[in-house]
Amino acid sequence: MSSIHPDQVTAQHLAGLSRLPDRGTPAPGTGDGSLIDDPSVRSPLVLNERTFKEVTDIVCGYAENKPGKWWLPALIISGSIATLGGLAILYLVITGIGTWGLNNQVDWAWDITNFVFWIGIGHAGTLISAILCLLKQKWRTAVNRSAEAMTIFAVICAATFPGIHIGRQWMAWFLPPIPNANNIWPNFKSPLLWDVFAISTYGTVSALFWFMGMIPDLATLRDRADMRLRASKSGPTIAPFIPIRVDAVRAYIYGFLSLGWRFSSRHWHRYEAAYLVLAGISTPLVLSVHSIVSFDFATSILPGWHTTIFPPYFVAGAIFGGFAMVLLLLIPARELFPNMKDFITLRHMENMAKIILVTGSMVGFAYTMEFFIAWYSGNEYESHVFKFNRALPTWISDKGAPYWWAYWAMIFCNVLSPQVFWMKKFRTSPTAIFAVSFLVTIGMWFERFVIIVTSLHRAFLPGEWGMFFPTAVDITTFIASCGVFLTLFLIFLKFLPVFAIAELKAVMPQASPHHHHEGHAHGGGDHSKGGHH
Amino acid sequence: MSQISAAGQSHGVGADHPALRSSNISMAPGAGTGLKSAFIGLGVLGLAVVAIGWFKDSTHALASLHVGVITAITICLGATFFVLIFNLVNAGWVSTFKRQYENVMSLLPIVSLLMIPVFVLDYLKGGALFTWMSSAAHGDVILEKKAGFLNPMFFYARSAFYILLWAYITSTLRRLSLEQDRTGDKWLTAKARRTSAWAILVMALSASFAGFDWLMSIDFKFFSTMWGVYFFAGSAYVGTATMILILALLRRAGKMEGAVTSEHFHDLGKLLFSFTVFWAYIAFSQYFLIWYSGIPEETAFFEMRLKGAWPMVGAAVIISHFALPFVIMLFRGIKRNPTTIAFFAIWSIAAHVIDMFWVVRPVVHVANAADPVGWGMIWIDAGAVLGVLGVLGWLIVGKVTSGPLVAVNDPRLGESLDHRNYV
Repeated sequence: MSSIHPDQVTAQHLAGLSRLPDRGTPAPGTGDGSLIDDPSVRSPLVLNERTFKEVTDIVCGYAENKPGKWWLPALIISGSIATLGGLAILYLVITGIGTWGLNNQVDWAWDITNFVFWIGIGHAGTLISAILCLLKQKWRTAVNRSAEAMTIFAVICAATFPGIHIGRQWMAWFLPPIPNANNIWPNFKSPLLWDVFAISTYGTVSALFWFMGMIPDLATLRDRADMRLRASKSGPTIAPFIPIRVDAVRAYIYGFLSLGWRFSSRHWHRYEAAYLVLAGISTPLVLSVHSIVSFDFATSILPGWHTTIFPPYFVAGAIFGGFAMVLLLLIPARELFPNMKDFITLRHMENMAKIILVTGSMVGFAYTMEFFIAWYSGNEYESHVFKFNRALPTWISDKGAPYWWAYWAMIFCNVLSPQVFWMKKFRTSPTAIFAVSFLVTIGMWFERFVIIVTSLHRAFLPGEWGMFFPTAVDITTFIASCGVFLTLFLIFLKFLPVFAIAELKAVMPQASPHHHHEGHAHGGGDHSKGGHH
Repeated sequence: MSQISAAGQSHGVGADHPALRSSNISMAPGAGTGLKSAFIGLGVLGLAVVAIGWFKDSTHALASLHVGVITAITICLGATFFVLIFNLVNAGWVSTFKRQYENVMSLLPIVSLLMIPVFVLDYLKGGALFTWMSSAAHGDVILEKKAGFLNPMFFYARSAFYILLWAYITSTLRRLSLEQDRTGDKWLTAKARRTSAWAILVMALSASFAGFDWLMSIDFKFFSTMWGVYFFAGSAYVGTATMILILALLRRAGKMEGAVTSEHFHDLGKLLFSFTVFWAYIAFSQYFLIWYSGIPEETAFFEMRLKGAWPMVGAAVIISHFALPFVIMLFRGIKRNPTTIAFFAIWSIAAHVIDMFWVVRPVVHVANAADPVGWGMIWIDAGAVLGVLGVLGWLIVGKVTSGPLVAVNDPRLGESLDHRNYV
């Protein structure tokens, strides 16, 4: 026990992952105290009047202590699912793309659907870290780190799919324009090549943003490990009979990653400047990446793919699906990690639910425009796609769309289900938000499936009509990508600082120059056993 | 319980704040009369020019008038959009000048009524502007397919419906704000937020369809799902520009000192900059997707604008609406200085006018192969735009001088007065 912290009391609440005492009861009608409706009052962003010290202890505690009992089983399950994907990909590489359900008519299906799905997921992280930063939205500080992590893991999952789709995977290095002996270049006129640039830029900038933001917190973890090493001659070792202390490993790895950060004013000044520059660079990136993904389809002349609203519509959908995923991850996390609800309050939940409602309605707006203009254009192929290839159920008309269920699943999940957030009761209930986020995630996968497969499955001649049926390899690869994503996220939760500690502190009342130095700010000694200082 | 409310940061501010002294936030009686006269003079003169133009080339005059009217409507639409957004996101930094946004917003239904003369003149000319109403288009195969939407009865009914909706929304929001001035009830802010929630949905749809009806349909064969977003992007851009101009003029008149500072201009400048970029993103995406696919029914829109001297106008749009302001407004000092940012506000309004000119005018004059832009009678365009904007300016000055410049009981005034950018 005492290895975690030299002070016994602090060590206990850290090592036992106990919940710190609540201070005060929230005013009635404000949920956990954050749902203040009064327009003259800003809701607190950190609850229970945590002190700066407590914030550091809580956030570092997630990385320093044994995780809850759920963590290892969850990691094993998701890791196993991820491994299955490795096997599926191995089988694919050995056998060929024919192991997927692609056929002459539908020659692009789950592979590209999954790619767009995962790329979209990442956009919430970039929006939170870049656009919400420029808009000075203070509530972002509680969710930015985990959302940015999620962005990177989503990009990793996304990049896999085009990588394995190229047929001869060992030639994947031909994707970037590398000068070579045979003078073989990729087609610069193809949006698929722009995707290579867009995604690699996106991945690089997101990773830099994420990593740079973590440096001060990694240094905190390093210093804490170092302090424990100095405070005591003995402590837990990495394995029985091997006299290397865990804290020594921590001090080394976190020390390596923190790049010599010393918390000096000069470091902070450069950090802030770099942060703003990266936020400025990432903001057009949020819009450009999914716009270019939309070009994959919209530059074609295929009815259902070629429409001018695609770029902003894809961006809105990406943010929509991304926020749903952030919520799917954070709602369980704030239940499972003690004291996390002090940082991710019901107000944070409500704000994200509102973003889901807004972006869901934007997506609904785009669906409406597509449908209306398809009719208004007077182009019968356009209107045919929407009416007969997507919306009209087969049980209403023989001419109906065999994929009608996919279209209506999309409408239900993406447009209708978020509308419950018009009611405060639902947008402040983590259960309801979780349920809607789950539906939205499904709906956004279906959206890509609908766009891609229903547009392809019936070409201009009835002789070119076909259906797509996924094979076991298709299904396994997709499920495994979810496994990869979850595995990476679980590892992140355990080993890295899940919150930006300094940013969290900056939005607490103590950080305000107008804060009065009386009362709770200095850490109430009245209720703790004196271990907090 | 007390601890929780202590943790929330209250920003209540009394009327004793030096920036909120009465002389600073209200206009003296009769103030702005000179500006008002200048604007209405410009309005009457401009519209007189249009009247002369009507006898020279009535189709040209009609299209010119339409450019002016659409510009005025988009300015008010932009202001309305921002009032809704500020209400919805509980924006604090705008509290000292949100009243000015509301002033322009409240003119939306009035300015939209200027569509009536356009409709009447178009009717008199047998559909010279809305060509689908003309006898020449009668029996067109494409038009027949969309006749369920593009028929005069439904078209006028829709236009009336948009204006009624806008009148209801804008008057409701303005009433709530003025009521707060009188009663000081902070909960009216929450009420305005709730109204804005459904209103923004209604505005998004009605403004998009107004964009389809009043702009896209003048070239009835053209269609673009992006059109509503394009219309919105231009509106938000020109709305922000107008707001910067109003605030800079008020500061010049010695008002709002300490209430609207360089910090506010800095952030408004950022908004103007971001909508420059957003408009460019939308305009480029629309152009690029149509160019890349090269489907004749869509490319005709740009084809028409590549004839004669129209490419020059197109280049002017790109340079004035995006390239030049993008490069210059990146600089921090430009945004923080009320004079330079006001210059870019005027610049942006002009750029938006050129954009609307580029959208509307090719449709009516492309037939004249010798001079498709109609340079010979460009004075009609100048007169129409300055005339309508003169009327709008007259209306705006009237609104601004009609009451206190600040919504004095806004519960978030303190936040706005303390607003800092820090970086």
